[in-house]
Amino acid sequence: MAADNSAAAPAPQPGLRDNRFAVRLESLLVLVILIVALSILSPYFLSVSNFLNILLATSVIGVLGFGATFVIAAAGIDLSLGSVLALSGVVGALSVNALGLPWPVAIVTCLAVGAFCGLINGVLNAKAGIPAFIVTLGMLGVARGLGLVFTNGQPVYGMPDPIVFLGQGRPFGVPMPVFIFIAVAIVAHFVLAFTRFGKYAQVIGDNEGAARAMGIQVDRHRIALYVVSGLLAGLAGLLFLARVNSGDPTAGLNYELTAITAAILGGTNLFGGRASVLGTLIGALVMGVLQNGLNLLAVSSFYQQMAIGAVLVLAVWLDQINRARGQR
Amino acid sequence: MRTKSISFGLSAALLAASLASPASAQDNQVYGVLLKTLSNPFWGAMEQGIEDGTKEAGVEYFLQAVESDQAAEPQLNTCNTMLQRKPAVMITAAINSTILLPCLKQANEMGIPVVDLDANLDHEIAEKAGVKIAFTIGSDNTAAGGQGADFMAEKLKGKKGSILVIEGLAGNITGQKRAKGFADQLAKVAPDLKVVASLPGDWDRQKAANITNDTMTANPDLVGIFCANDTMALGAVESVYAAGKGGEIVVIGVDGNTDAVKSIKAGRLTASVAQLPYLVGKQAVEKAKEVLAGKTVDKFTYVQTLVLTKELMDAGTDPALQYVK
Repeated sequence: MAADNSAAAPAPQPGLRDNRFAVRLESLLVLVILIVALSILSPYFLSVSNFLNILLATSVIGVLGFGATFVIAAAGIDLSLGSVLALSGVVGALSVNALGLPWPVAIVTCLAVGAFCGLINGVLNAKAGIPAFIVTLGMLGVARGLGLVFTNGQPVYGMPDPIVFLGQGRPFGVPMPVFIFIAVAIVAHFVLAFTRFGKYAQVIGDNEGAARAMGIQVDRHRIALYVVSGLLAGLAGLLFLARVNSGDPTAGLNYELTAITAAILGGTNLFGGRASVLGTLIGALVMGVLQNGLNLLAVSSFYQQMAIGAVLVLAVWLDQINRARGQR
Repeated sequence: MRTKSISFGLSAALLAASLASPASAQDNQVYGVLLKTLSNPFWGAMEQGIEDGTKEAGVEYFLQAVESDQAAEPQLNTCNTMLQRKPAVMITAAINSTILLPCLKQANEMGIPVVDLDANLDHEIAEKAGVKIAFTIGSDNTAAGGQGADFMAEKLKGKKGSILVIEGLAGNITGQKRAKGFADQLAKVAPDLKVVASLPGDWDRQKAANITNDTMTANPDLVGIFCANDTMALGAVESVYAAGKGGEIVVIGVDGNTDAVKSIKAGRLTASVAQLPYLVGKQAVEKAKEVLAGKTVDKFTYVQTLVLTKELMDAGTDPALQYVK
């Protein structure tokens, strides 16, 4: 809300401060109303186990959405998220399954592969000057293809127990991916909203020229943001791998679009400058709750896609109405 | 200023709600059915069979599917959600052999028997993952491929030439079984027909059409094409006609779906090895009822497949034809 004019301030600290917990109120409202409505409509909705289900179902998309948020903050885009997720998971799975390396290697490999893909995206975008849309669209194909090549199209089944625990373990009755999801949300929110790294990203997204004038090293910063988004895609790949106990080269098809939807639903501006991880969390939950509720009500998957599309447009529209009023 | 937003949001929720039918009361004899997608006539026929089966068995069912037959993780999430309703049995057609295992394991732990619809699971892997499959029901895809080979050999008797195999989505076990079943049987019954290429068409009509074009260019002596499903066969046959080789090249698909039936009747597509998903769905329910009644059933049930040709349909005497939708 206040981020729009803050970039003009030479010292970003005070100007961006109000952006810390900026969450599109409409998204939160939609989420609450959905929860209330579904509690009334379905006798199976309002229960702890179902809410854990929703969080579990949202964890992979959520983590991916955080990655999307970082890149979009600086007016970038990452279309390779779903493919990088699959490639990371596959390589991680192969490292322990085919190469017989100890289980921690799978974790490191997933994250490293993701970060490396992000690095390539970032360098090609920032240094070679290829538009982000094209670079990451290219990576979407390359990473997906590589995953299929490495596995010959077959899922790599069977992970060591500690990895399976990451995906299927339930300490205190809560699925492990939910813990990881929440932890990543907190860290990512802190980084984006409270550190110079995150604030500069939004300054770049708001006005790149001003960012350069301020002395921000825009290119290096961009690269770092793609590395973060790749890293989170790698983490999402690890979660996916652990959840289903197999590295699936067809995993995460079209997830980049869902991840970007979550970010926008949460109030992040697709054209940069305003971004919130907390918002993305809410955006992802709106979709998760909607999907879960419609599943419980046994609504056909055809309507589910319509509903999510409609909610997205509605939330952004409400936001625009409120902004127009605020400016008057 | 906020009130208007609230009313907007409320209408959003109501919109979502009005799409839904009212939830039925809790009932322990509700069968949970999880399919891949409904945007495919094959699964539509399966659903019809399930519906008729449950009606005859006097039980209720609720059915879920996901947006596409590649939406693996959404299917796992849907599966988890279905368990909230504590169905009496979970009849699932898994998108791949491993994706649903965590959910099915939980179903077992809740005392819910698991049925492998359309033979998508690997019993060995499932057992390792701690999943006990009550039974598998579906079509024998290897045999279906073999039936296709027998028909191809019969149709091209005394001829020599190249054969193209268009496989399904890379890594999909159904497509692999069909392609392999075809190739193995063809090598046995028709040594003069040589498979020159076996390429993944990803279940995609357009891709199959392109593969057909390329292969016809590279192999002018192409005499037959076997596709792992009808959608791809319909793409392949269009390429064949476009190249002016209509009627010369034998094109066979698998599934027996509505479009393929039309094409065969019109004399374009040569044949389709029809599965009978209606029967698969119906028998799945019948057997699930037996399992719930404590009876033992066969671990594997294969429902027959049928080579659909213009002659067979014009004659209309085969009793299995009534299940072809």
